[in-house]
Amino acid sequence: MDPQGRRENLGLTAMARQRAALARERADRADAVAERHELLAARPGQEFHAQIAKTHRRTAECHRASARLQDDFAARAAAWSGERGTRPRFMTVVAEACGTPSAAIALLDAERNQLAVAASDRLARTAQDLEFVLGEGPGQDAAAGHRPVHLSGPRIEARWPWCGPSLLSLGIASVAAVPLRAQNSCIGALTVFDTRPTDTGPVHLAEVAEALTHIVLLDPDADPDLYGGTDMRATVHQAAGMVSARTGCSVSDALALIKARAFTEEVSSETVAGEIVHGDRKLI
Amino acid sequence: MTPEQRLADAFVALAGSTADGSSDVPGPLSVLATRAPALLSVHAATVVFAPGKYDAARAAGSNPLVSRLEHEAIGWREGPGHDCHRADAGPWAQTALTSRPTRQRWPRYTPRALTLGYTHVVALPLREHTVTKGVLTLLSGAQHAFPPSTLVLGRSLADFTAVIMERAREADRSRTLTAQLEQALASRVVIEQAKGVLATRWAVPLDEAFDLLRKHARSRQRPLRDVAREVIEGRADPDLTDR
Repeated sequence: MDPQGRRENLGLTAMARQRAALARERADRADAVAERHELLAARPGQEFHAQIAKTHRRTAECHRASARLQDDFAARAAAWSGERGTRPRFMTVVAEACGTPSAAIALLDAERNQLAVAASDRLARTAQDLEFVLGEGPGQDAAAGHRPVHLSGPRIEARWPWCGPSLLSLGIASVAAVPLRAQNSCIGALTVFDTRPTDTGPVHLAEVAEALTHIVLLDPDADPDLYGGTDMRATVHQAAGMVSARTGCSVSDALALIKARAFTEEVSSETVAGEIVHGDRKLI
Repeated sequence: MTPEQRLADAFVALAGSTADGSSDVPGPLSVLATRAPALLSVHAATVVFAPGKYDAARAAGSNPLVSRLEHEAIGWREGPGHDCHRADAGPWAQTALTSRPTRQRWPRYTPRALTLGYTHVVALPLREHTVTKGVLTLLSGAQHAFPPSTLVLGRSLADFTAVIMERAREADRSRTLTAQLEQALASRVVIEQAKGVLATRWAVPLDEAFDLLRKHARSRQRPLRDVAREVIEGRADPDLTDR
């Protein structure tokens, strides 16, 4: 066992347990507030309290869902041997909560450019990379429309002419995505992929997305890095800077060149970028 | 309008006062203060809102004279608004301004309120969870005390206002957090891109490029992300970008 890895797993476990406890405290507080409003709602002329109570009950549910995710992650971290390759990913417990092996989130800017991604497995990550390269896909649509997206089989291809065929060739038979919403703004999307066709998206998808929004953004102990599982594609951006300096084009044009090259060569943008950064690919 | 219609109308006005989702405090405060008298059959109403320090409290009134009184009462730290806010409890203690204990309790507030023609006051807390964030004060010039129906309805109005204000503040908070997260992530992206630009310009490894960037920003006491953005936009100091 790797001693440094062992220390790291203890750290991850303790942190996840603490976050679970804090989430449960928040849930208890929200339930207590809800109860108070439920009592007030019983009085004449105070019916609006029932609505407020309902909101607080929902908040409590959301905090309990976050606590469950943190508990599951703590269990995985505790069982981890400390080896690099098997480092637990928070997105794995998110995927499990959705009842699917493959789940990913993309954090998006106001123009819906991917700023960071986190994925439960290779398949989910590859699918996110396709969205990054092609600028279309389930996560993009969920974030743009502020509503859930679910498609199966040939409809995937029909909806996304560029991204769809590639998703199908990865063996994906259905996709479901929901926006990560904070009040009126949208910070990204949670997308799940299934190799079997499904009639609907996962039942708990929206609930998990809400808990996840709290975990990455809204909670006082919010962690957009998801225990180190979030990737901002540093290499791709470094490579874009290099191409821009070499060719004199803008960095955003350089980024578009890298994406185009990745698409035509059917490799990931990371692969193209890695070759640029390591000097194996001189010019684009 | 029936009383129910008037109440519904007030609720709509209160909800609309933060319709753009912004926690612009004066909006709901002045709507509450101006709507309360007709709705509750009282002569005047004032609102103080002090989620933090009482010195920084905001106030509104149903007419300019009571509004001024409430503003001054904040400075005096006396009056029904101040006491109800401090007590943090909130039984609806009605007070006759003509009584001697009241004059002793609020030596500056009481004579001024009497001069304006008000003889009775009651303070209703604007509460968030169990904390009193502000107070709705009702003033009456009638001989008798406030009827129970006024107090029940007043309480309802105060509670609703508190909820509206809390929601608006939550919306503000989540907007701020969203902007901060986006900025933090975008900064990291821009810094990586600038590292790539500098590594190529200087023909150095990426970590050295980062050192150059960081040293330059530090020596000029400027945020790293601003310098990085200038690098990628070709507007950076030539000392940094030209060999």
